[in-house]
Amino acid sequence: MWHFYMNRDLENGKFKEKLASAASMPKDVVLGAAVVTIIGDQEVCIENYRGIIEYTDVLIRVQTKGCQLRLMGKNLQIEYYTNDEMKITGRICSLEYCK
Amino acid sequence: MIQSIIRYVHGYVKIRVEGYSPERFLNLCSHHQIYIWGLTPCGNAYEMYMSLKGFKKLRPIVRKTHTRIQLVERMGLPFFLQKYRKRKLFFISFFLCLGLLYFYSSFIWDIHFEGNEKWTNETLLEFLEEKEVTPHMPKSKVDCALIVKEIRKAYDDIVWVSASIDGSRLRIQIKENEDTFREADAESGNTSDDSTASKDGQEEETLTPRDLVAAKDGVITSIITRTGVPQVHVGDTVKKGDVLVSGRIEVKNDAGEVIDYQYQASDADIFADTQLVYTDTMSTKYKKKHYEKSERRLYYLKIGSRLISVGTLKNDYKEWELHTSEHQLKLGENFYLPVSYGSKIVKSYISKEKSYTKKEIQQQLSQNFQLFSKGLEEQGIQIKDNHVNIQIGENSASAKGTLYLNESIAKETKTEIMQIEDQGQENTDQKDTD
Repeated sequence: MWHFYMNRDLENGKFKEKLASAASMPKDVVLGAAVVTIIGDQEVCIENYRGIIEYTDVLIRVQTKGCQLRLMGKNLQIEYYTNDEMKITGRICSLEYCK
Repeated sequence: MIQSIIRYVHGYVKIRVEGYSPERFLNLCSHHQIYIWGLTPCGNAYEMYMSLKGFKKLRPIVRKTHTRIQLVERMGLPFFLQKYRKRKLFFISFFLCLGLLYFYSSFIWDIHFEGNEKWTNETLLEFLEEKEVTPHMPKSKVDCALIVKEIRKAYDDIVWVSASIDGSRLRIQIKENEDTFREADAESGNTSDDSTASKDGQEEETLTPRDLVAAKDGVITSIITRTGVPQVHVGDTVKKGDVLVSGRIEVKNDAGEVIDYQYQASDADIFADTQLVYTDTMSTKYKKKHYEKSERRLYYLKIGSRLISVGTLKNDYKEWELHTSEHQLKLGENFYLPVSYGSKIVKSYISKEKSYTKKEIQQQLSQNFQLFSKGLEEQGIQIKDNHVNIQIGENSASAKGTLYLNESIAKETKTEIMQIEDQGQENTDQKDTD
């Protein structure tokens, strides 16, 4: 039963992705994908996320629709935090996507 | 910048969130549209700023997430007012300040002129003062249209005026008539009643019969008559007061008798050779001042009619000079206050008599003569020849001689009206001739 649902979810995702690319619609709207804008190694802007999971000055974990973002660095600080956008400043070392 | 001002006006707080899951608290905040900024981790807790409005909505979120909130700092206008609410004088003076600002801004504080070259600011200011337009007058009493009219009426060579109130400053823009030759055109273009009246006057003037007479003795070199009967020819010698062109035209019958006169204003260009005696004398000696170091100084401050001074002018110098300078304080450009300050300095000197050298005298006299001839040329007088000699005496030197000029000598006078003795007969004669 579980297997069936998972398959259906996967198929649904693929279908949506195809639809988005065929209709040339923005993927962040159709798929709910996170938009990450990195400016140098000082500033990161994340849009379209679900919420913060963990926040210290060396690691920030952010939950998005499909996966989790792990942002590692030094002196990380959240400049502002609203329902649809957040801005992180500090020295950024790495950004990982964990499924 | 604007955002921080808005935040300050609405008020904001700095809080510290501690507990089991502060991240959940953050997510709930963003879900409830509570704006958070300056989020920093601080050990196990987080510190952040949020608006006062958001802070008031926190209670259910705190209960849900089992977190503890500590208010670290309060900032902004609402807290400021709350803190100093008992300082009544501060608020009174604040509103008084606003009130005075409003009150004072209802006055004209300055009058600013633009575009005037011939007429100085001071002249125009004096004129406006006569019309009761001054700095420190209420703005509501300023009638820009009237000011414009008054200036246009009083100054013919100001072709365009605009008056406008710019904040608490009265701005008057002026366009002067730069081309003097066009003065007449500009005047005819005027719309004010004044100019039309003067135009009528000019027309009347042209209708009155006039003769042209000689203003000086001379020999006529050219005569071009436009209206009137010329009485002289080229080469004639005329004396001052001789009629050159007559404005009275004789009407004759077949027999050659004068039966009537027609009058008109004569108009002609008449040039004649004239002579002018030129004399210019100057002293060969002059006093040279040797200033000494000793001087007396007096500084003063004048408020209204009161005078406060420091120093003295008392002295026993034989010869001295007094230098005075005074400055009146003003606000802005033209708002003069009744306060002025200045200084008076008495300098002593010794004078020694010295005499000019021959070269210096010659230079001085010839320079004077050149200036004089330049003045004549500017008046349109041609200098044909001059016999001016410089004579240097013991005490004085002089330049004397005769200038031979060529100039316009016509001067207008009224024509004498002649009466015909027997009009009835002449009328019949006239009919016959018709």
